[in-house]
Amino acid sequence: MIVRPFLLLLLAVVLAAPRVAAEPGVTDTEIVVGGSNSFSGPLAYTGEQITKFGVDLYFKVVNDAGGIHGRKVRAVYYDDGYRPQDAVANTKKLVEQDNVFAIIIPQGSPPVVATLEYLEQQKVPMLFPYQSSPVTRGRRYVFQGMTLSDRSSRMMIDYLAGTRKFKKFAALYQDDEYGKSFLAAFEKDLGRYGLKLTATESVKRGVTDVSAQIAKLHAARPEVTFLVLVPGPAAHALRERQKIGWTDTLMVSTGPLTDEKYLALATDAANGVEGLSLWPDPMTSDLKGVQLYRAYMLKYFPKNEPNRYSLAGYFAGMLFTEAAMRAGRNLTRDSLVTALESIKGFETGILPPLTIGPDHETQKQGFWVRVEKGRFTPLTDWLKSE
Amino acid sequence: MRAAALAGGAVVVLGWPWAVPRYFVFLASLIAINAIVAIGLNLLTGYTNQLSFGHAGFLAIGAYAAALLTIQAPLVPLPLTLLAAGLVTAAVGLALGVPCLRLEGLYLAMATLAFGFVVVEAILNLDWLTRGNDGLRVPAARLGPWPLATDTSRYYLVVTVAALLIVAARNITSSRTGRALLALRESEIAAQASGVNLAAYKTLAFVVSAFYTGVAGGLFALVVGFLSPDSFDVFLSVDFVAMIIVGGLGSILGSVMGAAVITTLNDSLAGFQSYRPLIFGAILVASMLFMPGGIASALHRAQPRQGDRA
Amino acid sequence: MGEGAPLTTAALAHVLVSGLATGSIYALMALSLVIIYNATRTLNFAQGEILMISTFVGWTTLQVLKAPLVVALLIAVVAAAVLAWGLERLLIRRAISATHFDVLIITLGLSLILRAAAGLLWTHDEFPFPSFFASQPLAVGAARVAPASLGIIGASLALMLALAALFRWTRLGRAMRAVAQNQRAARLMGISVERVYSASWILAAVVGAVAGVLIAPVIFLSSQMGLVAINGFTAAVLGGFGSMPGAVVGGMVLGVLENLAPLYLPSSIKHSVPFLLLITILIVKPGGLFGRVTARKV
Repeated sequence: MIVRPFLLLLLAVVLAAPRVAAEPGVTDTEIVVGGSNSFSGPLAYTGEQITKFGVDLYFKVVNDAGGIHGRKVRAVYYDDGYRPQDAVANTKKLVEQDNVFAIIIPQGSPPVVATLEYLEQQKVPMLFPYQSSPVTRGRRYVFQGMTLSDRSSRMMIDYLAGTRKFKKFAALYQDDEYGKSFLAAFEKDLGRYGLKLTATESVKRGVTDVSAQIAKLHAARPEVTFLVLVPGPAAHALRERQKIGWTDTLMVSTGPLTDEKYLALATDAANGVEGLSLWPDPMTSDLKGVQLYRAYMLKYFPKNEPNRYSLAGYFAGMLFTEAAMRAGRNLTRDSLVTALESIKGFETGILPPLTIGPDHETQKQGFWVRVEKGRFTPLTDWLKSE
Repeated sequence: MRAAALAGGAVVVLGWPWAVPRYFVFLASLIAINAIVAIGLNLLTGYTNQLSFGHAGFLAIGAYAAALLTIQAPLVPLPLTLLAAGLVTAAVGLALGVPCLRLEGLYLAMATLAFGFVVVEAILNLDWLTRGNDGLRVPAARLGPWPLATDTSRYYLVVTVAALLIVAARNITSSRTGRALLALRESEIAAQASGVNLAAYKTLAFVVSAFYTGVAGGLFALVVGFLSPDSFDVFLSVDFVAMIIVGGLGSILGSVMGAAVITTLNDSLAGFQSYRPLIFGAILVASMLFMPGGIASALHRAQPRQGDRA
Repeated sequence: MGEGAPLTTAALAHVLVSGLATGSIYALMALSLVIIYNATRTLNFAQGEILMISTFVGWTTLQVLKAPLVVALLIAVVAAAVLAWGLERLLIRRAISATHFDVLIITLGLSLILRAAAGLLWTHDEFPFPSFFASQPLAVGAARVAPASLGIIGASLALMLALAALFRWTRLGRAMRAVAQNQRAARLMGISVERVYSASWILAAVVGAVAGVLIAPVIFLSSQMGLVAINGFTAAVLGGFGSMPGAVVGGMVLGVLENLAPLYLPSSIKHSVPFLLLITILIVKPGGLFGRVTARKV
C-alpha cells in the first residue's frame, strides 16, 4: 500500500514539469467540487442537510480514509435562496473563479434549470440535482439524482390501479413545476388503465390553510387522493382531513414527500397514510449502508439527527467518490462522465445494486409504505419503473 | 476636474472586461442592470416621494416582454426589443400610476407590493405564454450581425444602455420637469400652488420609472438567460428599495453606487451560506445608523462643494 | 378545475370557521403593526420575526424544562417584550429622527438578521407545536367544528377586548392615543413620547407572541413563520392603516376570502384574490375600509 502512493508521486514529479491543461478543480492533492444551494429562503433546511450534513459527511469519511487516489475532496457552496438568477451567478462564480471540477446536488427545479444550459456549454458535470422534474433529461453532463416524477408516477399508478385495483383518483398538488410534472405524469399513466383524475386542487407554496381544497376533494369522493406537496402543507392537508372526519379515502404521498419530517408534523393525523418511499428509513433501517451512515453521522455531527435529506446528500457523495475512484488518478470531467456511465451493479448498501445507463438516471426505484404508529412500514419490496 | 473624472470613469468602464476575470464582467453587467432599476426607482421615490415595493414586478414584465419578443420575432433588432420592453412596462406603469395617484406613503407601498404579487401570479397563470413555473429560457440575442454570445459582448450592450439612461435621467432631473418633481417632494401643496400640475407629474414619474425598469428587465433576460416567477419575489423589490436608500434618495450617482454596493454585497456574501442574510441585514442596519441619507449624502458632507451634486 | 360535486352547508360552515380562525391571527398581526404605526408613524417589517423568535423561545422552555404550555406562553410573552424593548432602545430610537425610510430599512435588516439567527440557533426545520385545543372534531348537528379553530377565534377576541380596554381606560392607553393623534400636542401635555414609543413596541410584540403561540400548532414552528406578517400588512391596509377596528375587520375579511376563493373561483385567479382585493379597495376607497382621509400637511 505504500508503494502505490510512492509510484504515483514519482509519476507526478515526472509529469509535473510542464503542467499542460490541468483539469479545473483537480490538483495533486485536492479535488474541489461545488454547488449553489438554498441556505436561506423556503428550502434552507433541505439545502443545509443535503450539503453540509450529507455530501460533506461522506467526504469527511473519504478524506479520513485517505481520499480519492491520494487527493482530498472538498466542496464549496454558495447560497442562492432559491432565486434562479442567484443560482446562475453562483454557478458562474464556481466554474470561473473557484474552478470547481463539478457541480454537486444543486436543489430545486428553477435554480437547476437556470444553470443547465451554461454548464452543458462549459462541459461541467452537474451531478445529482435534487429535484424530480424530467426537464433535466437528455444531457451529456447531467446525471439525475432523485427518481424523476414520471418514473415515480408509473410505479405509483401501476401499484394502485394495477395491483390494488383502485378506480377513482384525485390529487392535491403544489402549484409549481414539482406539482405540475407529477400531475401530467399521473394523467398519462392513469390513461393506460382507461382512468383519469376525477378532481384536482392546487395549493400555493407556503400556504397555511387548505380547508377549502380538502372540502372540494372530499365532495368528489375519490378512493385515492395523491398528495404532491412538501411536508408543511401535506401535514395541513392530513390534519384538515381529520378535522372534517373524512375517512373513506386513501391518502398517498409522492416520493419526495414520503419522509419522517411530515409524519412528525402531522402526528396522529398521518396514521394509515400510504406512499412511495424512495429511501429506506434513515432512523431505523438495518441495511448495512444506512447503519454506516448513522454511525458516521454520530461520529462527525452528533447533534444532527439522521434524515432523508442528509442521506440523499451522503448518497450523492458516495456516488461521486465511486466514479472518481473508477476514473483513476488521471481524473478529468470526461473521464468522470465515462466512469459514471460504466457503473454497473454497484453495492451501496442503501439502495438496490446501482447501474447507470446511457439515460444517466441514478435512481429509478421505490417501495410502498404505510404509516403505522408514526413510522413507515414497508408493504412491498423495491418496485421498478423500467 | 469634472471632465477628467468622467474620462477616467469611461476608461475604467470600457477597459473593465480586459482587466478582470470573466466572472467580474458578468457581475458588472448585473450591477449596471440594477443601477438602471435603481435610477428608475429613485426618479419615483427620491423625486416624488412615492415609495414602491413592486419594482420586481416591473422588472419581470420587461424581462418577459423582451424574452418573448426575442423568441417569437427573432428578426426584430435588439434595440427595438429593449425599447418595446420599456414601453410595455411603461404602459403598465401608467395603468398602475393613475389609480395610485390617490394613494400616499404607506398605502402606495402596499398597493405596489400587492402589484408585485399579482405580476408573479399572472406569470404563473399565463403559462401558455410564459411557460409558467417551468421557466423561460432566453435565446442568445443578436445585435445586427454580431451574436451576443459572450459575457463581454453583453456587458458592452448593458453599459451602453445604462450610460444612455443615466444621461437621460440627468437631463430629466435638471430640466423644468426635474425641478417640478423636486418641488413636489418638498411640499405637494406648495408645488401645486406655484402652478405644478401634481397629477401629471406624479403619473409621469411612475411611467418613466416603469420604463427604466422595463428596459433593465430586457437586459436582465439577456444577461441571466433564464426567467422564472421565482426570480421576481418580493425580496428583490426590497433589494431595489435598499439600493436607493443606501445610495441616497434623489441622487443619480447615489443610485448607481447603491446598486453597486448591494449587488456586490449580495454576491460576495453568498459564500457565507446560512450567515448571508445575517451579515447583509447587519450591514443594512449599520449603514442606516451611521450613514443616514445614504452614500450620496455622506459624500456630500465629506466634500461640500458647489454644483457637484450628481 | 372547478368540477366535482356541490358542497354541503356543513362543509361550507367548516371552511368559514376555518377562515375566521386564520383571519383572527391576521387581525392580531395587523393590530400589532397598527399599534407601532400609530405611535411612531413607521412600519415594523420585523414584526413577524419577533413573533417567530418569541415562539421559539417559548418552545425551547417546553423542550428543556418540560414546562406546561401556559408557562411557555408566559415565557414567549416576556421574551417578546424584552426583545422589542431592546431593539427599540438600541436601534430604532436612534434613527427615529431621521426619515421614515431609514427606519423602514432598519426593520427590514432586522427581519433578515432575526430569521437567519433563528436558523442558526434552531435550524430552518419545521417543528410541531402543542396546542391548547383538541384537534378531534366536535359534531354540532350535521356540522363538524374543530375546537382548534374555535379556540383561536375565542382567544384572539379576548385579546382584542383586552387591548380595547387598555386603550380606553388606562393611563398608558390614553397616552398612546394622544400620541397617535398629535405628537406635538401630546408632548406639550407632558406625555413622554419616548416612553410611548417603547410601550408601543413592547405591546405590539406581546400581541405578536400570543398570536405566535396560538398559530404555531396550525402553521408549525419554523424560521419562516414570521412571513405571516405579510398577511397582517394586507389586513391592516384593507381595514385602513391606523384604525384598530379596521385591522380586526380587515384580518377577518382576508382570512374568510382566502378560504372561500378556492371554493368558487377558477384556479387561475384564486391565489391572487387577496392582492386583487387589496388593489381594488385601494383604488375604490383609498383610505381602506375604516380609514379616514387625512388632510395633507402644508
